[in-house]
Amino acid sequence: MRGNRFGLPDLGVGVGLRTVHFGHILARQPEVDWFEVLSENFLDTGGRPLHVLDQVAERYPVVLHGVSLSIGSVDPLDRDYLRKLKALARRTRARWVSDHLCWTGVRGRNVHDLLPMPYTEEALRHTTERVRQASDILERPLVLENASSYVEFAASTMPESEFLARLARDADCGLLLDVNNVYVSAFNHGFDAGAYIDAMPADRVVQYHLAGHTHHGTHIVDTHSDHAVPEVWQLYARACRRTGPVSTLYEWDENIPAFDVMHAEALKARAYRTHVMAAAG
Amino acid sequence: MPRPALDRVQRWMQAVIVHPGTVDDGLRSPAAAAEVPGAGVEDIVRPSARLTAAQRVGIYHGMYLGRMVEALESDYPALQRLLGADGFADLVRDYVQAHPSRSYTLNRLGDHLPEFIATAPRLRRRGFCHDLARLERAMSHVFDEEETPALTPEAIAAVPASAWEGARLHPIAAFRLLAVRHPVNAYVDATRGDGRSAPQRGQRQGGVAVYRRMYGVFRLDLSPPAHALLEALAAGATIGEAVGRVLARGGRATVAAEDLFRWFREWVAEGIFRAVTVEGRG
Repeated sequence: MRGNRFGLPDLGVGVGLRTVHFGHILARQPEVDWFEVLSENFLDTGGRPLHVLDQVAERYPVVLHGVSLSIGSVDPLDRDYLRKLKALARRTRARWVSDHLCWTGVRGRNVHDLLPMPYTEEALRHTTERVRQASDILERPLVLENASSYVEFAASTMPESEFLARLARDADCGLLLDVNNVYVSAFNHGFDAGAYIDAMPADRVVQYHLAGHTHHGTHIVDTHSDHAVPEVWQLYARACRRTGPVSTLYEWDENIPAFDVMHAEALKARAYRTHVMAAAG
Repeated sequence: MPRPALDRVQRWMQAVIVHPGTVDDGLRSPAAAAEVPGAGVEDIVRPSARLTAAQRVGIYHGMYLGRMVEALESDYPALQRLLGADGFADLVRDYVQAHPSRSYTLNRLGDHLPEFIATAPRLRRRGFCHDLARLERAMSHVFDEEETPALTPEAIAAVPASAWEGARLHPIAAFRLLAVRHPVNAYVDATRGDGRSAPQRGQRQGGVAVYRRMYGVFRLDLSPPAHALLEALAAGATIGEAVGRVLARGGRATVAAEDLFRWFREWVAEGIFRAVTVEGRG
């Protein structure tokens, strides 16, 4: 049913590969559909992380997910980084390579945060061109995730959902729709999370992210530190109804629990997917 | 006022969030003001229903230093223990102003920290901190080094006894050798043990070898002559030359033949060397 325009497979329900779980995964070889790998953790190491990743990639499908491409920055693209990323993707037979719609620094500096874009025509043209360049170097369509954000720029002339949808179309890239990020940003900026989900071009969504967050009353921070809240699961079901079954990944990066706890949260996604598909007939 | 272009928005935002003071200090800073002259924060960032524009930028500002501290804590856990949470955060705040990350990875953020410590004016126990940071940096580098296979018993057996004096031993890539003045290796052990560690004083050290075996990082305390011997070997001296230098420095009274054999056996058993070469044998 349906599927994305890039022909990228539905890998099922996966989890992030985290250092604290290395021993468990190698020893137990748990029944997990696939693993998502934080690219930068494996780019400049010949030590244990890469040794473990090689073994994981031998047994499971792997997807590379980065945080330093800085696709929206006005700095030049880091071609050395992209070449290393391409080599890692080849080594691990990564099914696809993703990063975020954001910028992480300017003037040669990396602040290592996913900073939001002003949603303007200028920024859209700029980012579109860079996505094309990055895809050319990687020799595969880049997949971009909506980041959560805590500011909106006065210069913005369109909503984030429109910017992302137009970017995906103009640059011919895939989308990693982070449902929790939609929820977080919707609360922080006061937009309708459901409308955002509905505005995504369904045939470009190749992956979903789910995660927990931290609510501070005045704002929500995307901490990946907990179970997903019911509202996020409802948004996920809404998204699945539009796209059909799409590879889904549960992220947990702070207060990381035992592997089985994290995996159980991911398996809830499988139940949601199954329920949505059954209801759709 | 006209909306600033993308480049100015990004430079303004970065100038504010990396400012070492408060977010208000950052908003008032010359670096931020230079990007959008005459603009107030609400000309650039919208307030939300619950937060002012400055408070919203402050979320990013607050997370920046926390992220830098967290990254450096993972590479320098013993130094963090020694300085305490506040002292370490103060050090990181100053350090990232001088050496901000310019890489796609945070793994190399701390590469200049030992040298920064060597000249840090307000740091107590600076000499100890410097040695400790050098040791923890070496551990971090060894962790990430390329894997190279260690010297095998077969390769050792292939060298005739008469050739050993002219042989050279080549260390694995995941090896670092440090000369230290303070007992920092023992301090690292203590911080990983009962948690009630305190730096010892007055105990002068020779060196520490840091190396990786089976993807684990190990450390070996070295007496001054053992350090001198390993240093000479790692620099490419033949075994005969290296032993000669050690004996010339300390005299036969301080280094017995059985010490030399014991050290070599230990270093080979620990997998510190990857190859042995003999002139004319390749």
